[in-house]
Amino acid sequence: MLKDLSKSFGSVHAVQNLSLTIAPGTIFGFLGANGAGKTTTIRMLCGLTRPTGGTAAIARHDVWKDRQFVRTQFGYVAQRFSIYRDLTVVENLRFFGGACRVPRAALEERIENLLRLSDLEAKRNTEAGSLSGGMRQLLALACSLVHDPPLLFLDEPTSGLDPVHRQQIWNLLYDLSNRGKTIFVTTHYMDEAERCTEVGFLHSGRLLAKNSPRRLKSNFRTRLLEIDVEPLMPGLVSLRTLPGILGVSLRSGSLRIYAPQPEKLIETWRQRWPFPDLKLLGERWVEPDMEDVFTAYSQGYDELLKESVS
Amino acid sequence: MKGLSLGAILSVAYKEFLHIFRDRRVLLLLLILPPLFTLLFGHAFENTQLTDVPALLIDRDNTPRTERFINIISKDKTFRWKRAGPDFNRESDLLLNGVKASLVIPAGWSDSLSKGDPKPVPLYLDGSDTNTATALEGAVQQNLATFQAGERDLIVENLPDDVIELGKKLPVDIRKQFVSLMTAWSTDSKILYNAKSRFIDYVVPGIIGLILQLLTVTLMACTIAREREAGTLYQLMVTSLKRGEIVLGKILPYLVVSIVLILVVNLVTLLHFQVPLYQPTVLGLICLLFLLCSLGLGLLISAFSHTQTQAIQFSVFFLLPVFVLSGAFAPLEQLPSTIRYISELFPLTHFCRAFRLVNMYHAAAPFYLADLIVLFAGAVITFLGAAFLLKRIEQ
Repeated sequence: MLKDLSKSFGSVHAVQNLSLTIAPGTIFGFLGANGAGKTTTIRMLCGLTRPTGGTAAIARHDVWKDRQFVRTQFGYVAQRFSIYRDLTVVENLRFFGGACRVPRAALEERIENLLRLSDLEAKRNTEAGSLSGGMRQLLALACSLVHDPPLLFLDEPTSGLDPVHRQQIWNLLYDLSNRGKTIFVTTHYMDEAERCTEVGFLHSGRLLAKNSPRRLKSNFRTRLLEIDVEPLMPGLVSLRTLPGILGVSLRSGSLRIYAPQPEKLIETWRQRWPFPDLKLLGERWVEPDMEDVFTAYSQGYDELLKESVS
Repeated sequence: MKGLSLGAILSVAYKEFLHIFRDRRVLLLLLILPPLFTLLFGHAFENTQLTDVPALLIDRDNTPRTERFINIISKDKTFRWKRAGPDFNRESDLLLNGVKASLVIPAGWSDSLSKGDPKPVPLYLDGSDTNTATALEGAVQQNLATFQAGERDLIVENLPDDVIELGKKLPVDIRKQFVSLMTAWSTDSKILYNAKSRFIDYVVPGIIGLILQLLTVTLMACTIAREREAGTLYQLMVTSLKRGEIVLGKILPYLVVSIVLILVVNLVTLLHFQVPLYQPTVLGLICLLFLLCSLGLGLLISAFSHTQTQAIQFSVFFLLPVFVLSGAFAPLEQLPSTIRYISELFPLTHFCRAFRLVNMYHAAAPFYLADLIVLFAGAVITFLGAAFLLKRIEQ
């Protein structure tokens, strides 16, 4: 779908030589820190900004040259809430339906279905601006689905939402995926990355990895060492500066150690604990999760991974 | 642009109409402002003549003759006279006296008139605004002339009999010439095109133009900028809408609203001020072209600015010189000729000229065709410019 896609703003390279293909029916999670180029990529794919290099195609149509056609093939939920606040739920749906040239005869029925799907039936005559954050997002999603596109672009659809609404949005996405829709979703919630069928890591405009979450996690060369230390925060600070450790992260009150040779590390620690001020309370081995994957890729911990990052 | 779908345009138009309808404050503004402005301006400029101007009168001569003059000038409604005693010597301090002019009849004035060496009458005028001083001077001159004619009649009536006998010996043609010289010469004026000399008749297009330009440019300027600010513009652009459909759909509701406004303003001027409308269809066409031009301008500003604040700022920058230089409220001929070239750039100038040519002069088409062409060209240019700028947003 994408080939060597690039976008530069002057000397700033927002996206560099991005190449990837997404199979129909996947939920593709596009991961990356803020400013990694996720939104720029989505905007290029939506034909909102012209790529400065490379090409991208949706259903074999170029996203820039054929943007008028391509736009009938996808729905887009922007990062910012971009539905008309002074229009009611139904008026918004009706407007976007008309704007996407949904035939009048089919429109009303489609709107009813979308209201049911997004659980907004009770709010049909509420102005969009007075909906709660979660409902706004559901409405934005419903509006993007009004012309029944095979592909959905969602730019951080759950940012700032409470867990209940996040769950609701994701249930909806599963439902849509089940019906054969392809979903392209950016996020920086790692638990959401776990829910995707495929995940791509974008870092400084470059795609570092693209695979299923399971495969990405199994890409770790070693298991991860987790230790309990008291006091906790001085422990975190001291361990970070220790040679042989790439990084330390705090997880549920324990310290997770990113090190190329954790076995050797724990061996020496068992013989002689190097910090007189800290107490080592416990140690265990854990399986890496998506957050570890994200940390390893975005921090460039090449030594931890089977396939090199660069 | 071809392949535009009416349904899509109407979708945008309906949405845009809802925006107007939902914003109660703007709606109120749209409903109240035009008739209010019309009433206000109509009455404000109803009478352009100066009346009841405070003025100071000092009589240092105090003779029956000066009494006769004061009697005449007191009847002039232009002035509201204050009197000061002959010893008052601060006559030139207009501000202190709270007057716009002060007239001093000097001591020995009557004598000087009798001696064939008339003394000039000192008159102090407030020149801060350029019109008042000349108007007041003219009024005083006129009163002096009336007084002079009266005095002449008095002299003629009281001429000794031998002088009259002597006069009868003059040749007839010379006597007739004398009679001619003794009567005031006058013009037989017929005021054309605005027989009642009512300013409201002149200023109607100015009011319509002012209100329409103000509302259409500023409201229209906000439409695209608002979508940009709210982020909905991108959402709009990923739909199947073409740029032409967005532009037309956005203009349509404002066009309808503006046409209603024109009707309201004309109704007020017709019913309240009895300003008749000549050839309503032609006037309608002029209004329509002007409207399209203004809407196009608003759209251009809108596509140009990134936020609503910017859009309003640009609108004000554009509208300010228009109001001063367009000849909406005063004849363009008051401006120096170089400035008039700038005036020709504003749609309001052409609108006012064409409207007056039709409604006041009852002129035939060739007289105002050029103005119509300029308005039409303006509309086309601004629309194309706006569509071009919209295209740039996509890059």
